[in-house]
Amino acid sequence: MDSFLEEDAEAVVVVDGKRRKRRRNPAAQAAMHPSLHLPFLPPLPVSSNEHKLNFKKSKEACLDYIQDALLQKQWKRAAEFLTCYVESLEKDYSREHISASEMIWRIGTEILWHHSQSSVKEFSCFMEQMKTLGVKRYLKVCLEHVFHLLCNGQIDEAYQNLSLAESWRFGEQTAIQDKEMKLIQAYRGLLDYCSWSKQKSILLEHGEDEFSDLAVEQEMHSYFRKAAVNLKEIIKIPGVWDVFVKCYVDLLEFYGDHNEARQVLNEYAYNSKFPANPNAHVYLYQFLKRQGESKKSLISALKILHDIVPSHELMIDFNTMLQKSKKRRKRRLGLEVIFAGLDYAGWKENEKAWSCLARQVKQIVISEKHLDWIKQEWNSRKDWWPAFHFSRYLAKRNWQENKNLSYEKALVAGILLGKVGLFEMLPKTKGRIRPRISC
Amino acid sequence: MTALLEDIDRLEARRGCPRQHLASRLRWFSHLCRDWLFEVPLGLLADCLHEELTQQWSSLLFDDSLTGGALAWLPPEDGGTPRGCLVYPGGQAMNHLYFQDVVLEALPHTRGSPVQFELSGRIRQVAAARVDGQDFVGVRSDYHCGVWRVPGKTGAAPAPLQVIRTDVPASCLTVSPHLPGELSVCTQSGTVYLWNVETGLQKLRHDSQTMFFRDHSPWRWSDFTAHPRVLSCADRTGLQCLDARAPKRCHFDLFKVGEEAGCQQGERVVLPMYLGRAHPSQYLVTTQFSVYVLDERLPLVPVLKWPHMMKAPPLFAHLMPGKPERSHKVLLGASRTQELLLLQYRGGSQSPCQLAGTPQKLHNIAGCLQHLPTQLPHRHHLLQQRLSAPAAGLAAMLQEDGPHKSMLIFQLSEAGDVFCQRLTHKTAQPLAPPSRDEATTAPGSSPLFEAPASSPDGLGNEGEEEEEQTFYLPNLEVIIDEEEEEEEDMSTPAPLEEAELLQEPCASPQPSPAVPSPAAALRYRRWLRALFRAWREPARHTWPSSLSQRRLFTRRDLEGPAGPSSLQRQMRQQLRQTMQEGGRIQCWEPLALQPPPLPQTWELAGGLDPLSTRLTAAWAGDWEQWWEERTSFSVAQRQRALRERRRRQKRAQGRRSLSASFTSSLTYQSELSELSDVGPSQLSHSHPPILSQEGSPPAGSPPVHSPPPSPAPEEALLSSQSFRCRGIPKERRKTLRDYLSVWAEGPPEPPEPPGSQASQLCIPSSQSQLSSASQPRRKRPRMGF
Repeated sequence: MDSFLEEDAEAVVVVDGKRRKRRRNPAAQAAMHPSLHLPFLPPLPVSSNEHKLNFKKSKEACLDYIQDALLQKQWKRAAEFLTCYVESLEKDYSREHISASEMIWRIGTEILWHHSQSSVKEFSCFMEQMKTLGVKRYLKVCLEHVFHLLCNGQIDEAYQNLSLAESWRFGEQTAIQDKEMKLIQAYRGLLDYCSWSKQKSILLEHGEDEFSDLAVEQEMHSYFRKAAVNLKEIIKIPGVWDVFVKCYVDLLEFYGDHNEARQVLNEYAYNSKFPANPNAHVYLYQFLKRQGESKKSLISALKILHDIVPSHELMIDFNTMLQKSKKRRKRRLGLEVIFAGLDYAGWKENEKAWSCLARQVKQIVISEKHLDWIKQEWNSRKDWWPAFHFSRYLAKRNWQENKNLSYEKALVAGILLGKVGLFEMLPKTKGRIRPRISC
Repeated sequence: MTALLEDIDRLEARRGCPRQHLASRLRWFSHLCRDWLFEVPLGLLADCLHEELTQQWSSLLFDDSLTGGALAWLPPEDGGTPRGCLVYPGGQAMNHLYFQDVVLEALPHTRGSPVQFELSGRIRQVAAARVDGQDFVGVRSDYHCGVWRVPGKTGAAPAPLQVIRTDVPASCLTVSPHLPGELSVCTQSGTVYLWNVETGLQKLRHDSQTMFFRDHSPWRWSDFTAHPRVLSCADRTGLQCLDARAPKRCHFDLFKVGEEAGCQQGERVVLPMYLGRAHPSQYLVTTQFSVYVLDERLPLVPVLKWPHMMKAPPLFAHLMPGKPERSHKVLLGASRTQELLLLQYRGGSQSPCQLAGTPQKLHNIAGCLQHLPTQLPHRHHLLQQRLSAPAAGLAAMLQEDGPHKSMLIFQLSEAGDVFCQRLTHKTAQPLAPPSRDEATTAPGSSPLFEAPASSPDGLGNEGEEEEEQTFYLPNLEVIIDEEEEEEEDMSTPAPLEEAELLQEPCASPQPSPAVPSPAAALRYRRWLRALFRAWREPARHTWPSSLSQRRLFTRRDLEGPAGPSSLQRQMRQQLRQTMQEGGRIQCWEPLALQPPPLPQTWELAGGLDPLSTRLTAAWAGDWEQWWEERTSFSVAQRQRALRERRRRQKRAQGRRSLSASFTSSLTYQSELSELSDVGPSQLSHSHPPILSQEGSPPAGSPPVHSPPPSPAPEEALLSSQSFRCRGIPKERRKTLRDYLSVWAEGPPEPPEPPGSQASQLCIPSSQSQLSSASQPRRKRPRMGF
């Protein structure tokens, strides 16, 4: 059970980077354990005080009951067991102490969250106790508390809690929990941003009333400063910070600091230390579009997005943009983009995409230039596209569900497969061109 | 398979010991290797043996060959008709593949007899996917993989398409949800194939090493992704995606056990699954600790993580996609513990991924034991065994019947039974908003590819399922002959004859009672009846009943001895009489009885079998000597050696060295057991029998076999002669004597050696002497050294 406690405690936290050392001798464990480390195997018989073992056993059983109750949504029952489990704090002989208290924190929050008779006040009280119980995860508990308050709509209290947590000092512990501190600051920045945008909307509504404006405006600016400082900090750390980045960019744009915004977005999208995040490129693209940047830079932003996620919704825009281009190379790229998008299962019934493809293919066929482009694209797909897109079953279903889609697909199929037979159930009356080429 | 069956046939010839069947194997083995085995260096042999044992041990603890599960549900074509098809393995060795039509009414029941295919190996996995209105069913056994096609039309027969054979056991078989007749196969050698029924096999990758760090598990897995040409490959360390068109060049890492996903030490991938039906780019990865939902577009960083806290790693998973605004439901199942967990999550495209509501534990198979009518203890035990067989597969479906929404969950056990439970939808109480950091991803992440629309907090309209009843499909294996009859009855459920006994369904106190419906209870009873009918014969012997022996052997073969023999009757009578008198039975009268059942066990309990002697000798470093003794052939030879050793022993006593006293005392012990092999006659004169005569001799015990009269136990123990006999050096004799006298004086009545006395009731005299005499002595080495 000791393994359960510590491992579970680690598993729950996503941002927790620390690892605790395992206590058992790894060699002995390797001999006894299967290739996969199984957390719930009965622990090896250790010669030790029987009293301890018994205590451990009953603790384990208690935890089992709690888990059982939680998974069956019997919150009251779980709460009763948890009050018994609290004893494990008092009579704990080992280093598990920390895990046990962490356990109580996690289980307790879960129960209080769902329990029909719990109130926010009780919850806060519990949280305060938990904060004092474990200094090592003080900030984590704070963060959890703040989330809970936010979910209940108590934004001011949440803000107060964040400020309190930010000023928390506890020797070495403050330095150890640096990551959490950054998060606390970032969330405070986020709340500042919320207040800022509230003030902004007030200001925009009462544009004429000048006297009140001044105060509101000043307040708004102070929110901006507070938010900007904190948000700027967090997005320097490699990670996925979509919310923070968006807010920060919004602030900067409002105050006209486009260069800074661009720099932030570029950093977020192109810094290799950050995880490859398609959203970063989307934000950059949207920013560039808002700025009225040249087609070229838009296309280059989308090109990278295309390389990362060929099935992104923006690829249709990308294709339209490329199709309009006068450059041959770009039109070629456009064809590639739309073909690549339609490779994905999620695009199978995307009418827009099919119409883009149909339009471009039609254009190429009519102009009788660059037929080889189609040929090349088709070559790598001819062994599986017919079964994937143009099966009889699909034709029938598409026709029943979405006739327009059927027309577009039929056109493409006609060109690519060189025959119309597949989609023969389409009404012939619809006077559509079905050019024939041999690919 | 035929060889195995023949083997079982042969086994039947020697009825009795459940381990008998090993004997023939052992004999073959010894025939095979007696010429060369002795040439193998012992160290090497030991290494190999150790390796093998470790492997077997770990597969006992965690068997990953079942990953994926061997149960598949083929839903009806249009969703309108309430029927579908279950595909599952069955038969004596789980080598038959069944396609069973199931009608989903209030109580799902089978319709018609299943379509059967006999395969040449135990079925490990059954995977299915629907492409273009047709179901493709992939079946994996250790060395063969096959694919069947089931046309969408109801009543159409499944048709086998192709079979491949592998040299190395296959560890994975998945069916493409995109292209008809396409599957992916992994073998334990680390090879991944794309298998197309028309074009054959395409090798995508071969790497015996794991991908991200070294892990010795040969388990590999692969599945499909949103792009029909891109496959994911997994081992215990993570997942990679390969493009089948250029597998060497185009690949990217999808999941890595490590920092990015916040994994903990020892965490390994257990089961990856493509969640394409929920969201085209989502992926599920389970480890023994947590469940992750990944997005192909944002690899390495999970979009959802939740520690599942299951006691065994989840080997089975099943996805039930929800409608656009509803949550997707994922069922996780473990094999050994039969755990079943229902998770619901939503989001992915419009909103961030988050768990919807709290996860829910569902009933496991063993839990239905409480709902069954009370059984006789032995039947109860058998039933318990049967019901607690590890789970082997999981399938589920959502059923919408007008306003009634429900979820049907099928579970397959390794014994070949299929169980079913239904969860019904309840919209009554809105649930607390589920947006909590527990299930969120990295803080600050926003929905993928979408402007973060105001997060839909406070969603009350959860797709929550409330547990209502459990019920069970008739056993599909055991009662195969009765199935016809079963069906007729099932269509008209008879009223309950007796009230169902309501008990607590789980081990923990204060549970929620879940009562099976009358029809389900009836089906229970039918299943039970059939089960016990099939079990009646094997139940008499206690070997595991995974094989249906009824069809292998004639009834006469299986019949045990008709009734108690006259001898047994006599013994019972004797026993009863003694019990009334409060006396003890020193030994059974008919000692010459052929296999004396009780003495045999006691012999083992006495610890004087050759093995323990050998171990004792080995422990004392005297092993070689022991071996010499073993190899000397005749009893005479042994006796000679004994005499010689005794002489040496005396000399050793003269030397009065500690080590000598140690070895000699142990030598003595090995002699004892040596002698016990020879027989009691030689013993009686050399050693005084001890502790056998206290208490009154039982009334009926004949004098012939009772040991000769002997001095009182204290005397016997304390006499210096006996000490010398045991090779105890002089300087310790006094200490020992003091000790023993204290012990002997304690109770005024005949001293009762704690605990062991009772066990000597029925031991033949020679045995009892030996065991009791050796008792105070055996502690010595431990006491002195």
